[in-house]
Amino acid sequence: MSDLDRQIEQLKRCEPLKESEVKALCLKAMEILVEESNVQRVDAPVTICGDIHGQFYDMKELFKVGGDCPKTNYMFLGDFVDRGFYSVETFLLLLALKVHIIISWSSRYSVEICMLLLLWSIHVQGNFATFDAGARIVHHLTDQGDFQPDFKLITLYQQVRYPDRITLIRGNHESRQITQVYGFYDECLRKYGSVSVWRYCTDIFDYLSLSALIENKVFSVHGGLSPAISTLDQIRTIDRKQEVPHDGAMCDLLWSDPEDIVDGWGLSPRGAGFLFGDSVVSSFNHSNNIDYICRAHQLVMEGYKWMFKNQIVTVWSAPNYCYRCGNVAAILELDENLNKQFRVFDAAPQESRGAPAKKPAPDYFL
Amino acid sequence: MDVEVDDKDLKAAGAEVLTDDRHGLRIHGWEIVSCNGSILNSSSLITWEEKLKTSHLPEMVFGESCLVLKHATSGTKIHFNAFDALTGWKQEALPPVEVPAAAQWKFRSKPFQQVILDYDYTFTTPYCGSETMEFDTEKKNSEEFLEASCSPCWEDCEEQIDVVALASKEPILFYDEVVLYEDELADNGVSLLTVKVRVMPSCWFLLLRFWLRVDGVLMRLRDTRMHCAFSDSANPIVLRESCWREATFEALAAKGYPTDSASYSDPSIISQRLPIIMHKTQKLKVHCNL
Repeated sequence: MSDLDRQIEQLKRCEPLKESEVKALCLKAMEILVEESNVQRVDAPVTICGDIHGQFYDMKELFKVGGDCPKTNYMFLGDFVDRGFYSVETFLLLLALKVHIIISWSSRYSVEICMLLLLWSIHVQGNFATFDAGARIVHHLTDQGDFQPDFKLITLYQQVRYPDRITLIRGNHESRQITQVYGFYDECLRKYGSVSVWRYCTDIFDYLSLSALIENKVFSVHGGLSPAISTLDQIRTIDRKQEVPHDGAMCDLLWSDPEDIVDGWGLSPRGAGFLFGDSVVSSFNHSNNIDYICRAHQLVMEGYKWMFKNQIVTVWSAPNYCYRCGNVAAILELDENLNKQFRVFDAAPQESRGAPAKKPAPDYFL
Repeated sequence: MDVEVDDKDLKAAGAEVLTDDRHGLRIHGWEIVSCNGSILNSSSLITWEEKLKTSHLPEMVFGESCLVLKHATSGTKIHFNAFDALTGWKQEALPPVEVPAAAQWKFRSKPFQQVILDYDYTFTTPYCGSETMEFDTEKKNSEEFLEASCSPCWEDCEEQIDVVALASKEPILFYDEVVLYEDELADNGVSLLTVKVRVMPSCWFLLLRFWLRVDGVLMRLRDTRMHCAFSDSANPIVLRESCWREATFEALAAKGYPTDSASYSDPSIISQRLPIIMHKTQKLKVHCNL
């Protein structure tokens, strides 16, 4: 069992890693994330998840409903941390799962991957005959008996192109400033006695991708749209490796909300923060040739909510938010043909949350 | 929020825990019940928006949650709920508070066709509880008249809530905290309305608290405390003390206090730093137009 396997097992029991392990994990993750595009390409089938907010035991319910990773291909739309009790374990588990998949693929299939890359390059230039011929060469080199270009190989070939089985998108809580106010900073300090782990994690936040595009048809982002962005290429040119700014396109993608009562753009009464209406979504979807936008960021009692004639959907994956709202959560499963199925789930039962909830002592408040 | 209460203490105080599915107790003619429910679902939210004539409500409205204190012989009913509190918010209609980032946003290029929303997103409310007359159903016929023609109201008074007596560690027979509504101000702070109650052998005491922190801008604390010392008289004496405090982060900085939001997560710890802008004590009276 590798160190990473052991660490994943440990995190699955909701036990935090050692500080040195977090550091090593974050370094590996950074190498992977730095290669990602601001608009990550994602293949279907994929299961889309919204905000988690450190509700570790509820995320385990999510995996029960959606299937284990990497068997199920997951995409998380950010807000892994803050507000819940287990932001550290939640974020590190997702990060470890991501790193694990990439490392196990590259060690187990290193020869095949090299060959398949070759093969793929032939394939994209030629017809299936050259692909078949290339595959025969792979078979010869890998010495695995009679070769047939079977499903496994095709899948493998897909994996080489897009090896991610878990995509992590940045939410507005993946920021130094926000985590210092809403819990993650304090949690790191409490669990480790220093802020090093918070530093490693917030450094990683800067590398998380800003959005994803599923099969060129479903655009996924944490918050929403920006008046500074009308094409996906404009997102691709953002230099994302920084703290979330207070304004501009990157800020809007992570912070903005759809709003029924405006048609075009609206400005929040706070004086900062955009709201966007039906016509904004219509024109964005039309000009980028996408079916709909999938986003998170806002609590929905029913777990998900369509707006603007099914042009945008909010997915919320933190059941019984803040341990008191009584809401259900949802994930959106897309099959290989992009057929949609929402899976709604409840919070983890009290007895599966490790230590039972302590009854609060009577408070002699004045 | 169940709390283990000693049966002996209850018995000695003449209190009786409710045996139906409600959470509460009866003591000295009072019936005190709390209820903690879920947030409103989407369809109830629409209904509330229509009733309150607004298109914006807090993200978390605990529409079914309440605290009710009912005195059987006098028919006095004091209760706390989100709807009445939001009615107060709608009426007060304070102007919106700009967040620090707004200064930078003024220089952003404006999108074509921009609407600036204008409502008090802090959900600040002057709410300090609801009161009505309500008699038990079996007495209804004879007292329907009283219910219709009498109304409780609050009159200013000189008496103060006896804080010294409240500091004594009498056993707590019933305790609960009910959140009425909450909003995260889209991660720009917190707006929270809660009511806490504790019932002791000699009295009940409650604190309704509206707590607002707009990060980097201001804090607002509107506390309403109510106290009733148990007696055998037909009309109970209920005192109500309202205390509103408010300070900007700028004013706190000038006094040398920290200005990071993390230092202001618990209002009960920092309330003394916020200057009082309104304070009054009142007594509950029942007026009848007979």
